[in-house]
Amino acid sequence: MLELRSLESGYRDLTVLHGINIEVRTGEIVALIGANGAGKTTLAKAIAGLLPVRRGQIMFAERPVERLPPRERIRLGMAHVPESRQIVAPLSVADNLRLGAYAQQHKLGEDGIKRRMAAVCDLFPPLRERLEEAAGNLSGGQQQMLAIARALMLEPRLVILDEPSLGLAPALVAEIFRLIVSLREQGIAILLSEQNAQMSLAIADRAYVIEMGRITLAGNGRELLGRPEIAERYLGVGTAAAADPRAVEAQHVRLVHGLKAILHDG
Amino acid sequence: MDQFAQIIVGGVLQGGVFAIVALGITLVYRVTGIINLVQGGFCILGALCLYSFQSDLGWPLPLAFLAAVVATTALGALLGAATFVPALARLPNSSMLMLTAGLLTFINGLALVVWGSQPYAVEAFTGEQPVNVLGILVPSQGFWIAGITLIIILGIWYLMTRTTLGKAVVACAENPTAARFMGIDVARLTLFSFALAALIGAIGGAAVAPILSLQFDGGSFFTNAGFIAVALGGMSSLPGAIAGGLFLGIAEQLAAGYVSSLFANGLALALLLATLLWRPQGLFVAGRARRHDVRDELRVARSVIRPGARTVSVAALVLFLFLAALPYLVDPGFMSSLVITLILFIAVLGLDVLMGYAGQVSLGQAGFMALGGYTAAILATNYGVTPLVGTLAGMGLSLICALLLSVVTMQLKGAYLALATLTFGLLIDSLTVGLTGVTGGPSGLVGIPSFALGPFVFATPQEMYYLVLAIIVLLLVILTGGMRSGFGRALQAIRADQTAAAALGINVPRHKMAAFAICAMLASLSGSLFAFDFHFLSPEMVSTPRSFELIAMLVIGGEATLVGGLSGAALITLLPILFQPIALYKTMAEGAILVLAFQYLPDGMLGGLWRLIARSAAATPAIADGTVAERPSS
Amino acid sequence: MTETALEAIGISKRFGGVQAVADLSFAVPAGSITALIGPNGAGKTTVFNLVTNLFLPDAGEVRFYGDSLRDRTPGEIAALGLLRTFQTARIFPGMTALENLLAGAHRQVHFGAAWQMLWLPPALREEASLRRRGEALLDLVGLSRFRDVAATSLPMGAQKLVEVCRAVMAGPRLLLLDEPAAGLNDTETAELAALLRAVRDIGIPILVVEHNMSLVMNVADQVIVLDLGHLLARGTPLEIQHDRRVIDAYLGVEQEAV
Repeated sequence: MLELRSLESGYRDLTVLHGINIEVRTGEIVALIGANGAGKTTLAKAIAGLLPVRRGQIMFAERPVERLPPRERIRLGMAHVPESRQIVAPLSVADNLRLGAYAQQHKLGEDGIKRRMAAVCDLFPPLRERLEEAAGNLSGGQQQMLAIARALMLEPRLVILDEPSLGLAPALVAEIFRLIVSLREQGIAILLSEQNAQMSLAIADRAYVIEMGRITLAGNGRELLGRPEIAERYLGVGTAAAADPRAVEAQHVRLVHGLKAILHDG
Repeated sequence: MDQFAQIIVGGVLQGGVFAIVALGITLVYRVTGIINLVQGGFCILGALCLYSFQSDLGWPLPLAFLAAVVATTALGALLGAATFVPALARLPNSSMLMLTAGLLTFINGLALVVWGSQPYAVEAFTGEQPVNVLGILVPSQGFWIAGITLIIILGIWYLMTRTTLGKAVVACAENPTAARFMGIDVARLTLFSFALAALIGAIGGAAVAPILSLQFDGGSFFTNAGFIAVALGGMSSLPGAIAGGLFLGIAEQLAAGYVSSLFANGLALALLLATLLWRPQGLFVAGRARRHDVRDELRVARSVIRPGARTVSVAALVLFLFLAALPYLVDPGFMSSLVITLILFIAVLGLDVLMGYAGQVSLGQAGFMALGGYTAAILATNYGVTPLVGTLAGMGLSLICALLLSVVTMQLKGAYLALATLTFGLLIDSLTVGLTGVTGGPSGLVGIPSFALGPFVFATPQEMYYLVLAIIVLLLVILTGGMRSGFGRALQAIRADQTAAAALGINVPRHKMAAFAICAMLASLSGSLFAFDFHFLSPEMVSTPRSFELIAMLVIGGEATLVGGLSGAALITLLPILFQPIALYKTMAEGAILVLAFQYLPDGMLGGLWRLIARSAAATPAIADGTVAERPSS
Repeated sequence: MTETALEAIGISKRFGGVQAVADLSFAVPAGSITALIGPNGAGKTTVFNLVTNLFLPDAGEVRFYGDSLRDRTPGEIAALGLLRTFQTARIFPGMTALENLLAGAHRQVHFGAAWQMLWLPPALREEASLRRRGEALLDLVGLSRFRDVAATSLPMGAQKLVEVCRAVMAGPRLLLLDEPAAGLNDTETAELAALLRAVRDIGIPILVVEHNMSLVMNVADQVIVLDLGHLLARGTPLEIQHDRRVIDAYLGVEQEAV
């Protein structure tokens, strides 16, 4: 469904992505794991068309799209759930959903939009009850639902989720992840970009690790979960500090002494 | 009773004019969060174009009207596409505000080049014969204005509330990132609303042309009135804009009818100051407050340039030696211009503390120059007070005004602060012109003595130059001391993020007040020296356009650098003198330079220079281990 | 009996029809890290805003080392030494990492603007001492290479550390941290945890709102669980992990000890 070939992109005077190769197939969850600043959000923006592609290709639904404006890519069935929920707070939930289908509004017509809204609300019953409320009044979890629901208004073939678990309570994170799995069952291709390596690797069919704008590891989700270098870098286990209680203690003593000296000086 | 009704009709008519400008300002504000000061420029262009097409080309009214509207809208769209829209993605709101001020200056200058400085009159659309309604005479043009305003209002209302396009526009305003991910072309919609505002302005300007006397700088008049109307009515409310416009128009006409036309303007401004103090959200609306920290730089990844202490000392020494030697290097006839440059730089220095460091926008800097200038000049000329005492008295008065104004502005953030200071400046403008007995009115105050310290009289440009230079060196030493330590950091923290600064225990109101006081006193000092240097002071030497000029000097030179403003002051003061033929184009060039500087030289000339030095010396290692921070989305 | 740093006594807050916080009482003992957890919308951020008087409570009272905070402005509360950080790292843009830290030390500047402007020796000495301490702190947390870099261009993990360090520079008597680990990966979270433990052990108590259970379980001495504005449970991390009500309302699954 989506294939990136040696993609190079970035900001005005800064190249962030250096030759990214990624493939997402229909009915597959692909996780993208990486630290902050590794280039996950930049990648999402480049795929969406919000950043120029310097080199390489973006194939979507069997055609190159890297020269198409964002709107055209969305029309082809590429939907985004951007980082940190990005809803339009003063507009009602219904208007937010309506804008989700903005790129297709002429094709769909008013009836088509209403139909899709009903279908999306079946997936997210709490939204139906609050359709006329301002989106900003929803709780954090409901806002994340709205962001996903809005993406589904397009009846997309591919959904790109950027950090859907950010700032959500554990129980809600689990719910969102269950939902992502259910999207896969509907045959939607999913690119899931996450800090939360543990959970995203657990549901992913395949995964890529991105570091400093390069893909450094790729493989099956569960297989990556077992790799020691993943555990060390992204799961916080196996680091020198965590492994050795004496090292932890030494670091602690160093920090305490340092802080004392700094705060009681002068 | 008849007279009263007649005044009300006049007020409604005048108010209609204000309402039309206010609508355009509100529209752009709703979409972008920017107060669009260029709006009045579109009105005057529409009106002047109508005159030219009708009178010079002899076109019939409907055709001339249409052509005027099309031409103005096209120019608006062009300016929007070239400046406003691209800048919006990169600049903080306060810079955007001043960018629109630059655009307005540019349009004023353009009108000066095309139409010259004489006034024009346009005939009423359907004859000058007023219509008698129940015994009250209503000018026929009034019906046109009312009708056109109504159509504009209905059109905007329908667009904003009944169409998906309107919702998309709201999405762009509230959350551009989300809008982009939904496939909404934010830049295009912003341009659309900017051009729509130009269209409204052009239609409105052409409609009201017959009841006004048109002049090249009429754009400033329109903008000021619209701006006040918007503030009275409530910043982002369309009905509020109309109510504010009508209210302002009626109040002004009542004041002119029953008190004196001299005070009509002053009354409006006093009304506005009172409103800002009492109900900053506007008189007519209890609308939801938008985010309006003008300096919300969070969307702009500002680079930081910190030259080392040694570099700074060496550069400062070189600069000082150069300035000290300058009188021996240039033609003596050039000296007086150099003195003016230095005097204006003092005002820019104050502005840098307030704007560059504390991030507060003042559009009333010239008002404090006027306070200082007139106080010192009047005391020295008419009461025999020594110039030094007169200058100090001016600074004291400015300090008092600044503190009083602080009481108003401390409750205000961002755009409202800019508004309050602009109002203050305009109020001082109307006083300097109006209080003829005290200030000499428009013709100015003559016979001001030279500055003197005891027996030393600073009569020649040479002497004045060294006096001002000495003052500047002293000020720079003092301000550098403050800005390099805790005080300057607290101001910068406030500029960066007020809430976070307050959470660290920084007393935000007190610091803002201090910065404002410093800013006002330096402006006052500059104004006094200005008067003693010229031996003459007239209102237009220290009126609101000067405030914008000072901002331009600061921005071009480089904010938060202290010395940067000197290069800006030199550029804007000396260029027109060096190249006499461009004097006619001065206003236009000033506007253009301001706009271009905001867009292409965000750190000013000095910042650009540092950057160049730093790059060539490779003294700024990019983030050491190659980790790349993702930029804030914009 | 340890001293109580912060005590909330029956605080309540309504917004329209929603009871955001209802008759909530809790205490943060001096020398401890207390974590405040709960589902989204449980009222955690409201509690923070009530404690710092950004909102005034409808009922109840907050005491800071025994003194009532009722009539104090947010600015005065910060001046008392009750410092907070924000959910999204609110680093000062346009300032370097070191300058951010120094701005945090504002509370400790005794020789004000007038002294600084006249370059008087006490102010110069103070400035030099602040700089030395700021540099030492950056060095201590391993950020010295970012000293003169625009703080907003740092990686998120480093920004969060800078924000905590900035608050520490103020010499606080209590730190309120709002989701300090949000957006950090597990390795960065471990670094943050080490810093928080050290801050506690030099005598600065911490009240932290956090979703990241590994941080909470790692550093907290006491956990307070909120649900719908009410106190749901209170206890050690171990007790909370196995509390049925907490699992149902918040955790979803039983957490592994980390």
